[in-house]
Amino acid sequence: MRNGPGTADLQRWSEEVARDPGSPSFLPLAEAYRRMGKTEAALRLCLRGLERSPGSVDGHLLLARIYLELGDRERAADEWAVTARLDPDNFDAHRGLGFFHLERGEYSSAGRHLERAALARPGDPAVQEALSVLRRHQARSSAASRGAAATNGARSPEPTPPGTQNGAVAGSALAQPADRAETATPSAAALQPAAEAAEEPERSPADARPARGAGVRDPARVFEPLSTEAPFIGALLLDERGLVLAGSVREGGMTRSEALGAVVGPAAEEAARTAALLSIGAWRGILIETDRALLHVAPLERDLLVLVAAERGTPVGWALRTAERAGDLARQFLAEGGA
Amino acid sequence: MSDVVASTLDRLSHVPGVRSALIVDAEAGVPVASELGTGASGTAVAALTASLFRRTDQAVRDAALGGLGSFQLETEEGHVVVAGRRELIVVVIADRDAQLGLIRLEIDRAVEALQ
Repeated sequence: MRNGPGTADLQRWSEEVARDPGSPSFLPLAEAYRRMGKTEAALRLCLRGLERSPGSVDGHLLLARIYLELGDRERAADEWAVTARLDPDNFDAHRGLGFFHLERGEYSSAGRHLERAALARPGDPAVQEALSVLRRHQARSSAASRGAAATNGARSPEPTPPGTQNGAVAGSALAQPADRAETATPSAAALQPAAEAAEEPERSPADARPARGAGVRDPARVFEPLSTEAPFIGALLLDERGLVLAGSVREGGMTRSEALGAVVGPAAEEAARTAALLSIGAWRGILIETDRALLHVAPLERDLLVLVAAERGTPVGWALRTAERAGDLARQFLAEGGA
Repeated sequence: MSDVVASTLDRLSHVPGVRSALIVDAEAGVPVASELGTGASGTAVAALTASLFRRTDQAVRDAALGGLGSFQLETEEGHVVVAGRRELIVVVIADRDAQLGLIRLEIDRAVEALQ
């Protein structure tokens, strides 16, 4: 594990940035502030640095990460898009954009960016898992399309997944630069993450999504067996940065998945760092009690994380047992994906 | 060291399975008082756990989950429990098989006493 910068480094970078806000030192200084939890200060530094050095790929990536940690995924996506324009093969940019579009149900764009990320780094488990989720969704959509056509005859329109413009991953679009066209005027449905979109109680007859109990595993419903117990608010399968792969969390009628994902990434990162520096073995779980909820986060294989959210005041023992069950369901989901 | 801090620390450090107990200035990340196990560095533990607590507190507030009450890290070799409401936070490092319920109870009392 790499040690963080020392006081002398921080002082030197601060002096250099004070003299010239566009100095390359804005990057390590902003990153150090971000790691110290001074996110707003890191944001200001990054914005000021990028005003002077707008071509800094690392600067835009850091800014995207800061926005992500602040829960502002739209702005994070903007920064990834800028990065992809500056560096068309940038793994982090395509990975971020892929997850962003996947969560919004924009499957065509998600596929395009995830494929490019996979080309840049073929072994990345989170990208491979996201592509598996995407392919399963495509397979379900195709099957449902065939079913709908058979039921309704030639009059039925071609069904598309919610929030999808093209309905399929466009492999031929891999060579195109990252674009923001699909997110420029998103529909209300497209603004919801895919997992939450699948939970809409009212379904139109033309909706091609498989119905509950149809035998096809919907990523949004992976943790549904846990939902019968009262304190349970929801559960998520996340990558190490807190991007949602499966599950959903709704509280008071509101979607909480993205917000919780934004909590988990920094918390897990800090937990792993703390455990390593204190030499107390690898971390196995984090229990976070807030004024409004009880959260449990545990690492799964391949850098993935499982989050369980329960109501405030839930017994810790219940949360730990439910977290184990959520881990089992997540593993089952991953195994069924054929990854 | 004030009587409140001293007695709080004394109770915490006598719970079975507790290796180290600290009262930490959350903002500065430095120990205010500590009872440390063999080989433990109070400065390092305070800095790391304060950073962990601050960062998680900020994240849960950003996510509109209210303030952070406590943070419990389970590792292969033990537990780190951090709790607090104001500038002082209570940190306990305990063995893997420690009675966590008892530890959490004492931590809740400690947090209340330090308010």
